[in-house]
Amino acid sequence: MDRSASRMPTRSDSDWGEWPLAKLFRPRAIAVVGATSKPGKVGRIVFDLLRRTERPVYPVHPTQKTLLGHDVIPRVEDLPEGVDVAVITVNAGQAVQAATDCGHKGIPFIIVVAGGFSEVGAEGRILEDKLRAVVATTGSRILGPNSLGIFVPRERIDTIFVEHGDRALAGGGGVAFITQSGSVGTEGLGVASNIGFGLRAFVGLGNKVDLNELDFLRYFGDDDRTNCIMLYMENFSDGRAFLEIAGQVSRKKPVVVLKAGRTAAGAAAASSHTGRLAGSDRVVSGAFRQFCIQRVFDEEQLCDAARVLAGAPLPRGPRVAVISSGGGYGVMAADYIESRRQRTRLQMAHLSPDTEAKLRAIVPGFASVANPVDLTASATDEMTGDTLRIVTADDGVDAVICVALFAPPGISDALVAHTAAVAADVDKPIVVVGQFGPFTDGLLRRFYDNGVIGYPCVARAVRAVRTLVERAEFVHTMEGTP
Amino acid sequence: MRSAAQKWLHGLSNTKPDELDVKELLSCYDIATPAGLRLGPNDSVAIRNMQPPYVVKVCSGDILHKTDQGGVRLNVQPDRLENTITEMRAKFPGVSVLVEEHVHVSGSELIVGGLVDQEFGTAVMVGAGGILTELYQDVTFRLAPCSAEEARRMLNELQIAPLFSGYRGLNLDADLLAKTVAAISRMVIDLGDVFSQLDINPLGWVNNKWMALDAKLVLNSKV
Repeated sequence: MDRSASRMPTRSDSDWGEWPLAKLFRPRAIAVVGATSKPGKVGRIVFDLLRRTERPVYPVHPTQKTLLGHDVIPRVEDLPEGVDVAVITVNAGQAVQAATDCGHKGIPFIIVVAGGFSEVGAEGRILEDKLRAVVATTGSRILGPNSLGIFVPRERIDTIFVEHGDRALAGGGGVAFITQSGSVGTEGLGVASNIGFGLRAFVGLGNKVDLNELDFLRYFGDDDRTNCIMLYMENFSDGRAFLEIAGQVSRKKPVVVLKAGRTAAGAAAASSHTGRLAGSDRVVSGAFRQFCIQRVFDEEQLCDAARVLAGAPLPRGPRVAVISSGGGYGVMAADYIESRRQRTRLQMAHLSPDTEAKLRAIVPGFASVANPVDLTASATDEMTGDTLRIVTADDGVDAVICVALFAPPGISDALVAHTAAVAADVDKPIVVVGQFGPFTDGLLRRFYDNGVIGYPCVARAVRAVRTLVERAEFVHTMEGTP
Repeated sequence: MRSAAQKWLHGLSNTKPDELDVKELLSCYDIATPAGLRLGPNDSVAIRNMQPPYVVKVCSGDILHKTDQGGVRLNVQPDRLENTITEMRAKFPGVSVLVEEHVHVSGSELIVGGLVDQEFGTAVMVGAGGILTELYQDVTFRLAPCSAEEARRMLNELQIAPLFSGYRGLNLDADLLAKTVAAISRMVIDLGDVFSQLDINPLGWVNNKWMALDAKLVLNSKV
């Protein structure tokens, strides 16, 4: 069931659109119910985080007088008008009353952070029914409970009370991340942000008493600033509706899903080969492909896929060229590229004689100018950049993996600029493999900041190219079907 | 308008169709099956219009694993037919027997199936079939109904995909197979809520068409 569908008008071109959900991501003012001066308390952390945003943030607490220089408002009903989001940071038992108060106050969006609801048993389920009643009687929409809320770098809105890559993500970007698990969401994002990750918005779904993945999928699907949507899901509110909507959204932008929690119950009862073969959730994989949704299996893959889909152009085909200054990396990359164990297949590109002749003119005599191109330890920043330019210009090449090793004496930090200059000029994906000991993350971050997507190992770089090729195949399929 | 599957369901005497019942359903969806005849426990053996050799199988909706129980005899010559049927009847008293033409499959055997996924609904499957199907696990799924174009993409995903592009001189028609998978996906949807599980295994390339050599359909007894 999805009530939001009928309520939502079509969006306008304004910054966050005119859908009701826009108010959640761009509220006029925010209230933090349960804001307290006690260090370490969720109410304190959330209020402190929200103070960074350029809009009024009101602390609400029955006994506290001031908090971090702000006057505390004793009751929800005493809040001024214009509060579009209330973050409820009190425990489950108190949260129901707080949500009720916010509903009666007419606050359109209520985020319930507390756990202790249906995930702990029958009593919690009763509390959730009461939250649903708030939605039904007041029209306010609830995100959660058991939700980390939202993080919107562009608006400097952040309700995530646990550690996460907040500063590294502050630059913002085009990826909307909808997650049913707070920890998988924040941990994955934290790691990804170390090497550069452009976040449009983070949404922790929690227990989904009201707002669910369908609402946010639709919203970000229509949001012009979102260029990729990634989801971590354990169960769908309506599996078929999810596929239909994600399939529609996929016509506009990539949708990547980590679906965890395999349904083994059905397999055990199966009396057919088909039932037993489906047991390990092959139906999910097939259905996703049918609706052009990209599937991943862990948080690293999820973040890796979103980074490259949001940051690199799509290849026109599966032919990959590899450039390295270390022959072994080229051979390894070729092995991964030619692996037939994947549904989406890549090929090693055949470089044209013209390309090979041009390369021969700029590389050392003993270098290999066939794919994988090996510049050897004589590689320089300039030689690498020129090689990239020549190889990307070859009509037989759809994507390039460039292994950026820093061991050769002729390679310096300027390699980043040389690579970025080519990437900015061509409409083929260039994916970098960057390794620099303990400085690897910083190196990849510099590539990212200069518009080049990189990974710390060959396997992940090849996988990223595969992700792009899969997306390109989906786009091709969708163009052929109305 | 009532679908062919609904008409077939209407004519069914119970919720456990036997192999011939299922093959009659498949015929409604233009899926070929070997020429065959069901013999009741007391019917005399009179085979007409069927080319030897034969296959003799126990035929009951209650027996889902007939190979495991010795309920299948292949390559039966005419002079052995009556004896074979007698032996089968002795092994499975009071149960019907199905006699079919033993057809020759070119290339490898496939499986096409269907099931109802708890999260996404009715789905269709195609992949490498035969008795080793669960060892190979070379199968892929789509939600039903699925188009022939989508079914064609399913075939491309299989490890056995080269079979459909001339591997070892085989000339298996992938487009016809895709149409067959699409038809089956339509059929399982047409069956409606009573549908639970379907195995067509093996499905093989016989005389320039895809033929269902064995079929098993599980219906929900209560809907």
